[in-house]
Amino acid sequence: MADAARASEGVTAERHAEAYARRQYVAVVATLVILTLVELGVARSAGIAGPAARSALVLLAIAKAALIALFFMHLRFETRILKVTVLAPLLAPAVYGLVLMADAFWRHLR
Amino acid sequence: MSDATPSYASHATALPRIAVWPRDAQYGTASPGKLGMWIFLVSDAFSFGGLLIAEGILRAGSATWIEPGEPPLGVIFTAGLTFLLICTSFTNVLAWAAAAEGRRRAASVLLALTAAGGLLFLLGQYQEWFGLWAPGLVHEGLVLGRSARASTFYVITGYHGLHVAVGVAYILAVLARFLRGTATARDIEILGLYWCFVDFVWVFVFSFVYLMP
Repeated sequence: MADAARASEGVTAERHAEAYARRQYVAVVATLVILTLVELGVARSAGIAGPAARSALVLLAIAKAALIALFFMHLRFETRILKVTVLAPLLAPAVYGLVLMADAFWRHLR
Repeated sequence: MSDATPSYASHATALPRIAVWPRDAQYGTASPGKLGMWIFLVSDAFSFGGLLIAEGILRAGSATWIEPGEPPLGVIFTAGLTFLLICTSFTNVLAWAAAAEGRRRAASVLLALTAAGGLLFLLGQYQEWFGLWAPGLVHEGLVLGRSARASTFYVITGYHGLHVAVGVAYILAVLARFLRGTATARDIEILGLYWCFVDFVWVFVFSFVYLMP
């Protein structure tokens, strides 16, 4: 009797976990769609200055990519070492891009 | 990594139950196939990073980025393609969850929907480039090799389109194996890493190529 109750509790908990995972996926999709609409708004708005618009678009793209990697690619549920293995190398092109932007900015100032 | 038979245990509290690889001290329950796919994706991200940085350098160094006579890019149409790719990432992850829960029919339908979404994306890209129901960019004056903008546009979106085409073939191959009973939820999860990476990269392509003022 107690075993049956525990088994039933286990199944219920499992279904809760599955429903939670689905709600999480739906929330991620909705957030991605909203962020894409914000991107469109930023890109098409004449009132936002070029550098501010460019910075906002870069940040929005990073936020969207992070959501995809963490939830759809399940990186959030991996170990810390796997996260570092995947994310640390991606810093290299990001730093390279920042250096190039700083270089372009410096040339523009001169 | 232990060589014991994979057990059937909870992957994480927020994820459905799935047959997982034996736990490793450093890499948890990630299988060698999953680690291999991650390493491939990181190296592939460098190739996209290189292309986008090249586009940025050419753009920053050119006095006139949009040459006279060249058309603007169809941002709204491409935003529609972006929504489509987001939806396919969603159907893909749902296919994995369905397979992990043993709902094979639902997993198969969701995988087929993901492949169909990928094909629709390619159709949309063909329309954008060459035109099907409206003139494409090539006919409007954006010709490969005529300007840095045209060349970087076709190389970057073409390279991404190639990834989508390979992804559709990969999905159909896994779907065929799944229907025969020789593919598992773990195979669908590894496939999902590749397919969501296609979406991951598109986020940056859409921002840097289409939206950046």
